[in-house]
Amino acid sequence: MENERGREKLIKWAVKSPLTYRLLRPVLDLLTRKNDNEPFKIWVRFLLDAMNNSYARKQPVVWMSAFTPSEIAYGMGYVPFMPEIIASVVTYLGKSKGPIALANAYASSDLCSFHRCALGLVMEDYLPKPDLIISSSYLCEGANKFFHYLASYYRCPHLMVDAPYRGGSAAKKYVADQLKELVDKSSRLLGLVPDMSVMSQALELSNKARAYIAEINRLRRSRPSPFPGSEGLSYLAGMVFYSLGSKWGVDFFKTLHLSLEQKVAKGEGYLPEEKYRLLWLHHIRPYYKNEIFKILEEKKAAVSFEETNYLYWPALEPSKPYESLADKIISNIWAGSLERRVHAIEEMVEEYDIDGVIHFSHWGCRQSCGGAAVVGDVLKQKGLPYIVLPGDGADPDNFSPGQTRTRLEALIEMLG
Amino acid sequence: MQDRLTFKEILQDLAKAQASGEGKPLVGWTCTYLPVEILEAAGLQPYRILPEPSSEKADGYLDPNMCPLVKTNLGKAITGGYSFLSGIIILNTCDGMRRLYDAWRFYCPSPFSFLLDVPKTVTSLSVSYFKERLKELATQVEKHFKVEITTDSLNQAIEEANLTRSLSRRLISLQGRGAPPVKHSELLDLLSLGSRTPRSVFNKALEKMVRVLEGEPAGVSNAYRLLLTGSSLDGSALVRLIEELGGEVTISDICPGTRFVDYVEPSADPLFSLSHAYLHKTACARMFDSESRISALKESLLKSKAQGVVYFSLKFCDPFLYEAPFLEEALRELDIPVLFLEGEYTGRVGGGVRTRVQAFLEMLEKNGK
Ligand code: SF4
Ligand code: SF4
Repeated sequence: MENERGREKLIKWAVKSPLTYRLLRPVLDLLTRKNDNEPFKIWVRFLLDAMNNSYARKQPVVWMSAFTPSEIAYGMGYVPFMPEIIASVVTYLGKSKGPIALANAYASSDLCSFHRCALGLVMEDYLPKPDLIISSSYLCEGANKFFHYLASYYRCPHLMVDAPYRGGSAAKKYVADQLKELVDKSSRLLGLVPDMSVMSQALELSNKARAYIAEINRLRRSRPSPFPGSEGLSYLAGMVFYSLGSKWGVDFFKTLHLSLEQKVAKGEGYLPEEKYRLLWLHHIRPYYKNEIFKILEEKKAAVSFEETNYLYWPALEPSKPYESLADKIISNIWAGSLERRVHAIEEMVEEYDIDGVIHFSHWGCRQSCGGAAVVGDVLKQKGLPYIVLPGDGADPDNFSPGQTRTRLEALIEMLG
Repeated sequence: MQDRLTFKEILQDLAKAQASGEGKPLVGWTCTYLPVEILEAAGLQPYRILPEPSSEKADGYLDPNMCPLVKTNLGKAITGGYSFLSGIIILNTCDGMRRLYDAWRFYCPSPFSFLLDVPKTVTSLSVSYFKERLKELATQVEKHFKVEITTDSLNQAIEEANLTRSLSRRLISLQGRGAPPVKHSELLDLLSLGSRTPRSVFNKALEKMVRVLEGEPAGVSNAYRLLLTGSSLDGSALVRLIEELGGEVTISDICPGTRFVDYVEPSADPLFSLSHAYLHKTACARMFDSESRISALKESLLKSKAQGVVYFSLKFCDPFLYEAPFLEEALRELDIPVLFLEGEYTGRVGGGVRTRVQAFLEMLEKNGK
């Protein structure tokens, strides 16, 4: 018992020490020197850097919900920390069960397990304390309340961008005015003077990354599929959420673009053989060990694209940060009416020459799963095989391997 | 005894009026953030979409993990249960309501559907943004129903609605003054029916009710005083159970029921007045600011001298489920016990709930509360 407690204390100390991440960097570089997945290596370095900065606290640490544009934080000179993304990494490392179990004592187990995992980590005091929390209200009903609760837990301020359902000029003005207010308020709260040239730089960096994302998405139309969907749903999506506005983002997307260009030129697919091309709906997948992608591989079915990587926002205007970030928020295809998401899905089906669609239904998520039936009916009317795959992104106990296999096999059968 | 009979009669009269709607086109709405005055100013009859609790859910049309109220609503709509409505207005309340709006339009389109975008914050920016959206709603209603909404008609509708609000508050304030002449279960039924009844009929009924009850002397009650809060309730069965077991809900903040605006100022810019008043009403958990909601609840608790809190949430209702630990902490500081209950919108309270309510009331007794 004593030993156990001592070990736990030591682990916590290591997790919370910036030194750990600085030491891990060369060690991991050495260990992965034979691994030629350069983009993945950048993701790992990016995460180590983010953790180092978050625990070193040389700049204000600002917690953000995943859908809040990260450009704001980089543009303000803050260190963004995204608990939802960290929860997915913790799940990937096989460590989500403990924090989820802890959180279940406080929150209903029907709530999003990424939030519960993050809540458990907060309660165990593993995470770097926030100086400020910023979230946005669109897409995910739970996120705001979750972040609001965290703000009261840490007794730190919480600012929110209220993103409207509708588009149009009134909505754009409403968001742009709030972003301006957010910049003013947050700098007042943190005792900083905002430097708008840094904000413009962040937007420029985001645009550079965006241009590579557009090219990456174009290359992913190739047959055979050059990039695995399982990775599109993990570190690629993670970088889209977390790195835009930073140099890391540009570096990552540039490297990924180059590697895909080479693969496509050589006609290399990520599967040994590709018979079917699938589209994955919902912005996440289960991150703990599971067989989904192995089963698909056995059936020669490639996940060619994921809706989470759909490029929905127009290029930003660095001289007009508030207006262009407002545009980015308002053009999000998962916010607003379902028609917009459906049109984007139809476009993806067309562009990626999709044979079948999987809608992953993460148990705690209402915003995406609530549309699964309508999306399915639209696609089925077009004769496209479609399945809903129920599961849970972060909680391995809420996942049924047998049922998952049956559903995937049913999809393959429909594909003929 | 007289008051009981009156109440029942009034409910029956209301039910009859509800069916007729005074011959005006009925327009369905879903959430208390809708200024129904806009519809009334347009000569339409607002009709709150509140399905009878049922275990029939539209499971094939919405994911199993969606709010059961939303699913029951869709189930009823798909089976033609709302075909008498000339239009629907769904509000941007929560993820569930947004998806209801999508599915409703896809599976059983209504002649007129509108999603009203309600801000989550209460600031000068959000008040002017909400006013823009109300203007858009008014324009769409004018266009579709070929009617005109004027400043005068809006102000008149506001005045009439103000009368409903003040009478309702008077009625609500009669609760808990001992041997309750108004039981909360009855009040909930009345308010719920009122949200579907022509305003003039409802106002007359309320006037009659208040007149009779205010004339009654205050009694003595030994019931446990409770505050009821939470998401949408599935009918009044839970409150009836509490009453049956010796409790009394003396104050509530629940939907449908008491979550309405206090007063709207008639003005030269009635849409602004409506935007301002509706955003400033006591917040529901779907709003950003949990603190103001919780401090309002604390105030009500102290005022009503409630001894315990019953917190009800429908399953999968994110706004209220995420807020539960928040409220529990705040109440712990006040040393007020909380009973947390989840429901499935079936309108039935199972044996488990009965036992828990009983145990809660016994605990209050033991604590000498
Ligand atoms: S998975 Fe859904 S519920 Fe969870 S954080 Fe994302 S949007 Fe919110
Ligand atoms: S009960 Fe909750 S989830 Fe259901 S409609 Fe109301 S706020 Fe939304």
